[in-house]
Amino acid sequence: MGWARSLSRGRGPELSGPELQPPPSSYCCLLLSPALLLGARVIRPAFVLGSLPDRPASGGRHIHLTASCCSDSKAASLHWTSERAVSVLLLGLLPAAYLCPGSMVDYSLAAVLTLHSHWGLGQVITDYVHEDKLVKGANASLLVLSALTFAGLCYFNYHDVGICRAVALLWRL
Amino acid sequence: MAALLLRYAGRPCLRAHLSPRLCIRNWSLPMAMSICHRASGIALSAGVSLFGLAALLLPGNFESHVELLKSLSLGPALIHTAKFALVSPLMYHTWNGIRHLTWDLGMGLKIPQLYQSGVVVLALTVLSSIGLAAM
Repeated sequence: MGWARSLSRGRGPELSGPELQPPPSSYCCLLLSPALLLGARVIRPAFVLGSLPDRPASGGRHIHLTASCCSDSKAASLHWTSERAVSVLLLGLLPAAYLCPGSMVDYSLAAVLTLHSHWGLGQVITDYVHEDKLVKGANASLLVLSALTFAGLCYFNYHDVGICRAVALLWRL
Repeated sequence: MAALLLRYAGRPCLRAHLSPRLCIRNWSLPMAMSICHRASGIALSAGVSLFGLAALLLPGNFESHVELLKSLSLGPALIHTAKFALVSPLMYHTWNGIRHLTWDLGMGLKIPQLYQSGVVVLALTVLSSIGLAAM
């Protein structure tokens, strides 16, 4: 959903930068990569945009593939797949935390939980923060928050009882 | 959600301003469930972050905090309600997340299937939340 919104904003071809930025809307990139981690037929986000962008550019806009466009699309596609892989991993960790609690599961949970929430909140920022000036600040604050959260969870796992045992203790209330 | 963001930015309350945007739309189950998926995700992230920050900043270890809670002698009804309140966003987000992953595999995208899977997710959420809160 976040990618689709960004595509419709009609960003110019000079778009480049961190891999979380969506590919430029004026280029036609059809991704037909094979399924990777999910092991089944995965529908990749198809950035098929045959039409010209909303705002008219001087001299018309040529639809062509540049290296920056393709690497941006590949990065976006990889990010999308990684998000799903982390979701599946987290799904597997929840019963693992119940059935075999321990420090392995504790640290895995800390990492996967923080990453999943970081990427999820990143999509929320992409969807609701539109001003270019605010986007960088919002993403930076999110990074700080996620880093602190991960540090806190690891600290808890190391110095305290650990996530699995903490939930067990809380539930025995 | 947009109203919340703008309120924090210092603008006046925009409920009246937003009402055509909210009242004109025909609210549908998939739309409401999508909003709840995002809301539960944000709430869960906030909870995890608060937990992590509390681990870094608050004095005392976890067991001392649990002892403090025990000393409050809260009634079992209140404890069960609190457990249900904690677990239901997690269960909703988990089951609806599985629904999202099946969509990503290209399955269940027809409109009737959307509504059917939505109802299944809601039922599973209620049942699993009740089950986990009772444990």
